[in-house]
Amino acid sequence: MEPWNEIARKTLKEGDGSQKIQRRQTLGGGVVRGGIVQRCPHQRPARPSLAALGQNALPQHHTRPGTGRVMTPRPSMCHTSSLQTPSDKAQALQISGSDLLSLARSLLQAWVDPLVVLSDSAYTLPHPAHNSISNKIQELQEHSKILGDGLDVLSSKMGPEAQTLSLLPYTGNDIGQDRISKLINFHFLMSCFRRDSHKIDSFLKVLRCRAAKMQPEMC
Amino acid sequence: MTVCARMRRDLGLALLLLLSAAVESDGMSPPGKPVFLGCRSPEKETFTCWWEPGSGGGLPTTHRLYYEREKLEGTHECPDYHSAGKNSCFFDKDHTSIWVDYYLTVVASNALGNATSGHFKMDVMEIVKPNAPENVTLQVMKREDNPYLHVRWEHPHNTDTKSGWVTIKYELRVKHRNNNEWKEYTSGTQTQFNLYNINPGEMYVVQVRCRLDHGSWSEWSNSTSVKTFNYPQNDKPFWILVSALSTVPFLTAMCILVIKRKYVKKVLLPPVPGPKIRGIDVQLLKRGRSEDVSNALIINQGFPSVPAWKDEIEDYLIVSDDVLLPDPHRKKKSLTVAAGFHLNLEIQCKESLGQRDWEKAEERKNGIDTFPPQLPTQKQLCPNVTFVHAEATDQRWPIHDAAAESTVQLLAPTGYVDIQRHKSMQEEADGNEMDYTRVNDGNILILQKDKFPGCMDVQRQEENIPEDYSRVKEVDGDNKVLLQRQSFSADSSCGEKGTPYTDCTNKKPINPHVPGPSKVELIGSGYVDTIY
Repeated sequence: MEPWNEIARKTLKEGDGSQKIQRRQTLGGGVVRGGIVQRCPHQRPARPSLAALGQNALPQHHTRPGTGRVMTPRPSMCHTSSLQTPSDKAQALQISGSDLLSLARSLLQAWVDPLVVLSDSAYTLPHPAHNSISNKIQELQEHSKILGDGLDVLSSKMGPEAQTLSLLPYTGNDIGQDRISKLINFHFLMSCFRRDSHKIDSFLKVLRCRAAKMQPEMC
Repeated sequence: MTVCARMRRDLGLALLLLLSAAVESDGMSPPGKPVFLGCRSPEKETFTCWWEPGSGGGLPTTHRLYYEREKLEGTHECPDYHSAGKNSCFFDKDHTSIWVDYYLTVVASNALGNATSGHFKMDVMEIVKPNAPENVTLQVMKREDNPYLHVRWEHPHNTDTKSGWVTIKYELRVKHRNNNEWKEYTSGTQTQFNLYNINPGEMYVVQVRCRLDHGSWSEWSNSTSVKTFNYPQNDKPFWILVSALSTVPFLTAMCILVIKRKYVKKVLLPPVPGPKIRGIDVQLLKRGRSEDVSNALIINQGFPSVPAWKDEIEDYLIVSDDVLLPDPHRKKKSLTVAAGFHLNLEIQCKESLGQRDWEKAEERKNGIDTFPPQLPTQKQLCPNVTFVHAEATDQRWPIHDAAAESTVQLLAPTGYVDIQRHKSMQEEADGNEMDYTRVNDGNILILQKDKFPGCMDVQRQEENIPEDYSRVKEVDGDNKVLLQRQSFSADSSCGEKGTPYTDCTNKKPINPHVPGPSKVELIGSGYVDTIY
């Protein structure tokens, strides 16, 4: 993990800005509602802002011009990268509704365990804002649970194809021992989570627009 | 090393330094390091990246962008350097993938060397920022006392709002023209908005922006402004117009009323006829000459002494319910009257009358057989009609034809029934005199035309004959005949014939010219009062 140490030193040198987890409280436009299960099955649950939560928890990558190569663990090493997902609009619109739902559910399911790990390690995170980070992680867990339950109900109504789940196990049980690796690993996990929540958000929105053909305001 | 060698080396170095200095002072150098400015995707389908070149180096420099991508092998060059302007790279749909990391570098090179910018890592999902909303329109909507501003706009033309790939949300802000404080409102996904808390006479400025999903907000649209109305001033000319238009008909109406005030007065306050007393000349009274007044008040034309009347036998006027319809062909002289109360009047036309008159009476009578259920209309009465006093119901009148039946039943003791002077009869009875006669046995009072100079004249002048009559309304009890109330003509001044008061009629028989021994006897008090 030598390159990791190199990276850690470099990132630390750049200042705290890149390591700080921004704690904007905005949850974006969508809020997970507790009453998902009671909704009409044709209505998609309101999008949680998991993506927003994740995004706000992480700094922007592209705000550091001229700082040299920043070698963070590549996102291809996310534990969910093995799942085949569309990579542009054309591909996404070709996928059937059942498959979209299945992908969303698989991704959501894949993050249950990692979120527990994150939640546990947030308390001891060597960061000045570790308390609010911990709160945010707990929010993420709750919203994920609610959304997951709602999607389970939806999938049961959509047929057997929507019920297929891809298992994406998370094997890491520790985010590191020393301070630097803890921070880096935490950061990496959060960026993976942000991407996956953005995917879930997009898939479900496409699904919702398709389901509400007569209501353009749903798109 | 010898001193010479060292000196030669030092000299070489110095020369090299000088040379390099000289070269630099001419501005020739390898290019400076370019710097990434940023990337942006306006619709989550394409994106563009911009960089800033470093110091020029004095030589023509080319910049190249290279990128690597997750899940894509190798290093690739920018597909489009021109679409987005200078120092930019545009990635179209085929080259854009989302949820994958791009690693970008820009290399500036000139004759003297290269310069490479640092790696720039980005994911398309992070750089989404749409264009500003388009066609922002602002309208003041008038809604009586509550005007409001209606704002409308369109989504940026390059975003896809139909597939759900992006979800647009809008935000707008408003301020007064002179103010600097903006008030922000969220519009959600609607492309219109109503602002209700506006003041009249103000200039409002509105701007709108949008964002896709959880991306960055766009820039604010261009300012659109509108001015609201000044409502109080607007109302004024309207009200002036209304009041001007309404005064014209009002004035016209008033003028008409004033001009026609007499008519209006007549309509609103119909003239009530004053009491008329026959024989009283109002003008005479007004003039106030005592002689004339007393003359007017006392009707002394042929007024017999009362006691003389009382000596007479009382006669009865019997009224029966039987209606005997006169036979028009049989010269019937009886006239039937009214349901409930039929007063059969027998026309007595004395033979003493001229045949002409009788015939006239007949004609008139024949034309009318029955009365409507009312009191006897006057015109049906022959001017010769009198009260018929008869004691017996079946008594035949000696003066009548055999066919004629006496249908008159007289009730005991009653007064007189008014005699109506027929108008036409009157006209031809010019000069004739009406007279009362009395038949002995039957107590028939026959009215003949006689001369009542004053009265006749007056009556001839009378236009409204019917007004002189009281109709018998009902016979009440022994001594009363109820007369129908009538409207009295103001012009009637005759106190003798056809007066509204039956007391006048009572005086008719009191005619000094009446031949015959009998006179009409007054009943009881002397006359029948019209009961009001």
